[in-house]
Amino acid sequence: MDFAIPSLAILSTMTPPAALLAQAEGAVGSGLVLTIACAITAIALVFLMRPGPTGLRIAATVGGLAGFAILVVEVLKRAGGEEASLGTVFPLVFGFTALAGAVRMVTHPRPVFAALYFILVVIATAAMFLVLGAEFMAFALIIVYAGAILITYMFVLMLAQQSPVESEGAAWYDRVPREAGSAVLIGFVVLATLSEAYFSKSAQSFRADAAERTAVDGMANAWQRLDGMPKLLLETSQKAVAIDWAKTRAKDDKSPAPKVAEVVRDARGKAIRMMDDEASVEVRLADGSARSVLLPPELVPDNSRQIGVDLVSKYPAGLEIAGVVLLMALFGAVVLARKQIELGEDERRELAGMRRLTVDGESGGSGGLR
Amino acid sequence: MNGIAHTLLANSDAQAVNLALLMSALLFACGLVGFLSRRNMIIMFLCTELMFQAAALAMIAFGKVHHDVSGQVFVIFILTVAAAEAALALGLIVLLYRRRETLDSEAWSELKEA
Repeated sequence: MDFAIPSLAILSTMTPPAALLAQAEGAVGSGLVLTIACAITAIALVFLMRPGPTGLRIAATVGGLAGFAILVVEVLKRAGGEEASLGTVFPLVFGFTALAGAVRMVTHPRPVFAALYFILVVIATAAMFLVLGAEFMAFALIIVYAGAILITYMFVLMLAQQSPVESEGAAWYDRVPREAGSAVLIGFVVLATLSEAYFSKSAQSFRADAAERTAVDGMANAWQRLDGMPKLLLETSQKAVAIDWAKTRAKDDKSPAPKVAEVVRDARGKAIRMMDDEASVEVRLADGSARSVLLPPELVPDNSRQIGVDLVSKYPAGLEIAGVVLLMALFGAVVLARKQIELGEDERRELAGMRRLTVDGESGGSGGLR
Repeated sequence: MNGIAHTLLANSDAQAVNLALLMSALLFACGLVGFLSRRNMIIMFLCTELMFQAAALAMIAFGKVHHDVSGQVFVIFILTVAAAEAALALGLIVLLYRRRETLDSEAWSELKEA
């Protein structure tokens, strides 16, 4: 089933239900709107999961899109502020793509297509990461998920796919879901709980407070990560000096910016000095003079550098454990994939040139010693 | 509050965070529904990956709210666990498939061989 045609239809009729709900909001309370929208989406999903006539499936798609539209309008309204700007178009598009891919993945009868739709979800989620300013994780997600994990899934699908005996193609257990109604009910409960927890008035104001409280700290943290990267600190202060030089020199002065010899650190080894949300650094120039230079905001360490510094400075234990987990998974995969050789303890000792543990006549051999 | 800190609090950011959280809730619900109702073992594990994605998206969104990259560091750990889980689960699925010649999880509903 294609999403394109019904989506156009629903986008043109999107406003009336939203306006209607906005009117009803005073009567029923705004918390209920989210729950009702979740319920509409859930009911639509039940009909999409079961095999049925095409008309019913199109109606379910339209219903699901309507529920989704109400959810989006309500959630955007709760973020507050002015009308939806251009900044919300991209997350909206990527979010819709991710959701369409996810629904299609859950409902598609052919496993290979489900895996392909999951790649679509991964790419849309990565784009969402980009919107949220997590560039490194966005590309890591595409490389690790779409590039490695999904390819493994594809190989296993090819290894374990049954030859199509029936003419319909997909096996019956792929076409008929198990207990679709109760599964969607559980999903609806989770969705309603999450949306209430995420978008209630208190959660909304808590997030606004947290964003306001941590904005300056976050900037200071980003700058102070430079303290741990001496080479980058030197390069950054050289750039800052050059920018400063370009601003202050006379117009016809073509001489190069002064060279930074070293960055002065205070008694505690800190080089970055924070004043409100502006960072400055004290440098000693090549000619021996010392000066303080303001670091412009565009020189802040980029996303991947910040993650790298945090990973090794704040979460070294987590990094080690992640390494152990990967090593264990490697061993586990090797053990699972290896051809099983049924050798007892005694046979293995004999192969290694050691004496048997059990005397002859005793019940030795395979599995004799555990 | 001025300069860059003010631009970090732009209204479109709050809306993007809200949309990302809504998406993460919807993706998680989709993954849960798929895990509970699909019979194909490979699709069931694919749905757990979908739930991992939803969790990662929520982490990044909350990291954005708190102006902290810790959320992104946690996503690295999620990726690690997801990769390890995929390697082990797919090996197990291949073994199970060799025993029963079917991917139907109902074939193993009694949790024993034969």
